[in-house]
Amino acid sequence: MMTMPKININEIKNWTINNFFGSKLNLLLTIFSTLFIVYIISSFISFLSSAEWEVVALNKRLLLLGRLPAEDTWRAWPILWLFSSILCSSIGAWGNPKKSELLFILLAFLMPAAIFFSMSYIVHISITIIIGVGSYFSSRIIKKISAIKVVMYLDTLKKILISLWILLIPLVFIVLLIGGGPKPNLWGGFLLNILLASVAVVAGFPLGILMAIGRSTKLPVIKTACTLYIETIRGAPLVAWLLLAWFVLPKFLPNFYGLSEISVVIRAMIVLSFFASAYIAEVIRGGLQSIPKGQLEAADALNLSYFNKMRIIILPQAIKVVIPAIVSTFIGIFKDTSLVFILALTDLLQVGRIIPEQDPKFFGKQIEALLVVASLFWIVSVALSNLSSKIEKNLGIGTR
Amino acid sequence: MKKKIGKEIISAENVVKKFGEFEALKGITAKIFEKEVVVVLGPSGSGKSTFIRTINRLEPHNSGKIVVDGVEINDDVKNLQKVRSNVGMVFQQFNLFPHLSVLRNITLAPQKVKGLSRVEANDVAMSLLERVGIPEQAEKFPSQLSGGQQQRVAIARALAMQPKIMLFDEPTSALDTEMIKEVLEVMTELAESGMTMICVTHEMGFARSVADRFLFFDEGLIVEEGTPEHFFKNPKEERTKLFLSQIL
Repeated sequence: MMTMPKININEIKNWTINNFFGSKLNLLLTIFSTLFIVYIISSFISFLSSAEWEVVALNKRLLLLGRLPAEDTWRAWPILWLFSSILCSSIGAWGNPKKSELLFILLAFLMPAAIFFSMSYIVHISITIIIGVGSYFSSRIIKKISAIKVVMYLDTLKKILISLWILLIPLVFIVLLIGGGPKPNLWGGFLLNILLASVAVVAGFPLGILMAIGRSTKLPVIKTACTLYIETIRGAPLVAWLLLAWFVLPKFLPNFYGLSEISVVIRAMIVLSFFASAYIAEVIRGGLQSIPKGQLEAADALNLSYFNKMRIIILPQAIKVVIPAIVSTFIGIFKDTSLVFILALTDLLQVGRIIPEQDPKFFGKQIEALLVVASLFWIVSVALSNLSSKIEKNLGIGTR
Repeated sequence: MKKKIGKEIISAENVVKKFGEFEALKGITAKIFEKEVVVVLGPSGSGKSTFIRTINRLEPHNSGKIVVDGVEINDDVKNLQKVRSNVGMVFQQFNLFPHLSVLRNITLAPQKVKGLSRVEANDVAMSLLERVGIPEQAEKFPSQLSGGQQQRVAIARALAMQPKIMLFDEPTSALDTEMIKEVLEVMTELAESGMTMICVTHEMGFARSVADRFLFFDEGLIVEEGTPEHFFKNPKEERTKLFLSQIL
């Protein structure tokens, strides 16, 4: 036992010498990559030492909410509380996070909290954290009770949480609009990106499933229609569709109930939903093709209806196969929401672009603003991809 | 001990099945009677699997007539559902649903198709799992079971729909030797209980002891048929003799 470290040191030494300095080429590569890394790190450090975050500090509200009027800022808090309570209870109910993962989750919460922290909101932020931590531990307790006694508390909790996730977007709309809220065109900042992406994913996912099934059927009319839909939408850039929604949509929509003057934000939601559905459809179609023919035959031999065959046998297996691709589509859609700036909406990226121009003293501080914007996008994307690997692991039981 | 064979339950008349230009079945005429165990033999590519797959329309036939328990198989969806609810099928590759537990594999169709409650379906499933000898595996997933156990679950799954006829499409061909026996035991028990069975199999010992009648297929036609005695003692056709000499 005592000799172990000695051998290891020798091994490490040999390994290092062989791999970094073994040949002339290795030596050259080692020197160049070391210089490169040192250069990158030192320039990042020199940037951080000279960085001035005032441009961000003074514009926290803009980054978070865009042009949402100051008197409507309160609307953001119930949304945040609702979200944090549903999210944290879900982590408690479904997940089984290790200590290190809990730390990561906590960091993912604290990073945006730190960016948006200010003394005037200390009460609100504290409430958010209390709600989050409270929901997590209460759902853990329910899980433990259900494990000891044979009661269905956990199943009930999961059902409630699933319905809350489905209701979340309508609830957010209600909070934003209730009691004469601001026009949707004034929604902005990070809130707008998250809202647009959520709507696109929630509406685009079921539509994408339908299109994938449609394209996989043998019925020629449905197959052609779905193929046409998918290829048309994927055939043009998102920017083109957004512009089309801006200029063309009002001319085509009938003019009752103010439908033709429908808000630009709603139009962006419609376009993003269609756009997401076309990509999701192709991903799911790939999953459908991976299901062996025997599964269909077994379902047919058991006389299951087409609907049950799809819902219970084929789709769960097909979607499971393509979860990584679905999540990466979601991440793509989330980042694509920053393109709505061409509809004159002020999303997070747009805010990051314009705030250094407010005041001459912020000139040259674009990097600070954009770095904060990028890190906010990054947190959500990393959280989503972590979620996907968790789901994959959870669904791993019973795989073929 | 000879079983009493009942009235006609499947009748196939001049059944033709084409895959593109290739004729897999070139006019099959056969009758199967209630409680009869029919073993279908033949070299690979002779159309024996295709034939039993036309009986529950996993392969729609191109011409000819198939009547199962008084219902003709055609494009009529209602007829098809009647036939499929009377015909259970066991596949070479088991085709269990990998994402569902063993119990759920069995209870799914009785609940969704026959409208049984969860409790009723679970009772049915558990008694069938006892019958095939693996009640302790109910909560596991198919991938956690051996091949023989999986095939026994597949038999239980088909039986849960209380079919009048069971089709077996090479049920032991994907199994290791030591697992073939446990599946054949279940099939023998099923045959003795009076189930009408059509089996495509190469297990000659099983076929000899259980079958009431053989059908020998070659190149899309029934070349010879008869009792096991006739078949093994004095086959008439050259092709049958050749085939038997190769596998016995």
